[in-house]
Amino acid sequence: MTWLVWRQHRIQFCLGAALLAAFAALIVITGVQVADQYHAAQAACAAGTGCSHPAGLFLGSRVVGFLVISTLGAPVLVGLFWGAPLLAAEFEAGTTQFAWMQSVTRRRWLTVKVGWMLLAAAVWGGVISILVTWWSGPDNAQQLDAFKPGRFDIMGLVPVAYSLFAMALGIAAGALLRRTLPAIAVTLAGFIAVRALIALLLRPHYLSTVTTFYNVVRGYTPAGAYWQTAQGVLSPDGRPVPQPNNVPYLYGIPQNALPASCARAVNGTSPTPSCLQALAHYRGFISYQPADRYWAFQGIETGIFLALAAALIALTAWAVLRRDV
Amino acid sequence: MMTRQEVPGPCRSSVGVPGASTGAAEPVAIQTSGLSKRYGKVTALTDCTVTVPEGRISALIGPNGAGKTTLLRLLAGLARPTAGQASVNGTTPRQVPAFLADIGFLAQEIPLYRRLSAEDHIRACGHLNPRWDAASVRDRLNALNIPLDRAVGKLSGGQRAQVALALTLAKQPRLLLLDEPVAALDPLARRNFLGVLADAVAANGMTVVLSSHLVADLERVCDHLIMLASSRVQLCGDIDELLTEHQMLVGPRKDTTAIERRHRVVQVTRTPRQTTLLVRLNGPVIDPAFEASDVSLEELVLAYMGQDAPPALAHLTAIGEDQ
Repeated sequence: MTWLVWRQHRIQFCLGAALLAAFAALIVITGVQVADQYHAAQAACAAGTGCSHPAGLFLGSRVVGFLVISTLGAPVLVGLFWGAPLLAAEFEAGTTQFAWMQSVTRRRWLTVKVGWMLLAAAVWGGVISILVTWWSGPDNAQQLDAFKPGRFDIMGLVPVAYSLFAMALGIAAGALLRRTLPAIAVTLAGFIAVRALIALLLRPHYLSTVTTFYNVVRGYTPAGAYWQTAQGVLSPDGRPVPQPNNVPYLYGIPQNALPASCARAVNGTSPTPSCLQALAHYRGFISYQPADRYWAFQGIETGIFLALAAALIALTAWAVLRRDV
Repeated sequence: MMTRQEVPGPCRSSVGVPGASTGAAEPVAIQTSGLSKRYGKVTALTDCTVTVPEGRISALIGPNGAGKTTLLRLLAGLARPTAGQASVNGTTPRQVPAFLADIGFLAQEIPLYRRLSAEDHIRACGHLNPRWDAASVRDRLNALNIPLDRAVGKLSGGQRAQVALALTLAKQPRLLLLDEPVAALDPLARRNFLGVLADAVAANGMTVVLSSHLVADLERVCDHLIMLASSRVQLCGDIDELLTEHQMLVGPRKDTTAIERRHRVVQVTRTPRQTTLLVRLNGPVIDPAFEASDVSLEELVLAYMGQDAPPALAHLTAIGEDQ
């Protein structure tokens, strides 16, 4: 059975491997340069010969940086081009009747086909994630944004789970619809919808956020690559201060909400002691997921997508093994 | 003018029927009882009871939509019956390698991987079957000048059918199920295909069920008949016996109640001067006014189809018989 799977899909496998190899070459070459620059800048800074601005550090690799961000879409590719046609194309061409009339049970046929495809999806997601995570190391250290939406989604474990989910979704859509093009469309729409819903609505609530209150003048920044979900200021009577756009702010407080003693400080002059005294009654707050929860969140999100993938594979098995053909 | 008469009763077969020429102990390749299949509200097969002894080449005949494909798929284990049982090679059709190894099924669409070559198929099947005679496929296809290394999608329809048949035969099944294998072929390819099939069966002694909606396709190679119409079995048994059991009686236009009481009348055709009866005999015909003659397989099949056909079609058949 494995031989047949290989013979049927060897072009896809080779194409996928070639894409990964090209991506790896690009990432490794530019990644080494980025890491060198970063370490040189760090050493210079430590030696006191000048700290270069971090933003300039990655300018030379902007194209690769864009490519790295765009790996956000890499997992769905395996679902679209490998998963959706896997069973749908066989149903369309009637070749299931060829395979099922060899001395191989339908269950074994399905297990081997789906098994190799899931393995391929895991390798695809895993290799891309390893490369992206490694390449982004200096960037993460500089920007401290590994936990933020968009970055969180392309590093660590989750790309593997997304790839497995996309593959399972494509296979299940193909098994139920039995037509390749509709299965591809459903896979694309389904993947985007599920990823967006979970990232936007569910992920912020995996663990309840930590809220820290602080003196607005002193300010407060949580340690490491935390994920901020809310930030604001409470007025002396304990109500949140509205935060309109396009007005000057002082210590996070908009001009119209500032105490009178601070009126002139907005224009750049240093605040008077009475102003600072008045500001002591304001409290800043920040709600966030601390940096040390990064792997817990990666684990939870991975678990959710693996469970979804497992459910889709179970649905596929039902559609292929239980239903008449 | 024609009267229609209901002929009740399920399939008869030579096995276990008193007076049959073959012994009751003859091994059976296929035995079904009350097999039915519904897809939603559509009834594809109703109460199908058939027996095919081992070594027969059975013609599964019926008009389009009669349930031929459904019966074959149930026998191959590709579909599950809604009611009734089937026994194939002594077991219920199911998804176990040992059962599948003994079944060769060639679907109507002749499913092959279009981008793969015949050689690829040979190698794939080699990995998928415990018994596999790769050399036989290569020999057969070489003899037919079919290239082994070309994608099968680029072969002609007749060549594809030959590749599929060679692959199915190389599995060395005990039971070969072929669903309208020659329907899409031109007359020459049809003859080649059936010739190859007949040779292979003669060499291996397997049982074959071969479906078609045309009697002429199957008459030369088959020795057993299952006839389906409107999802029901109309006729089943060895062709020689069926032909012996049925007679065409031609006589004057007169009352035929006496004959109908003794024999089973399948079809009656009356003209102003004479009456033609196709009967299933139950003993000798005593009435000297009627002259008995043998029936052809085609006449037999048409008669049984006619009794099930809608009145308009039956009328046309009757006119045809008159001439």
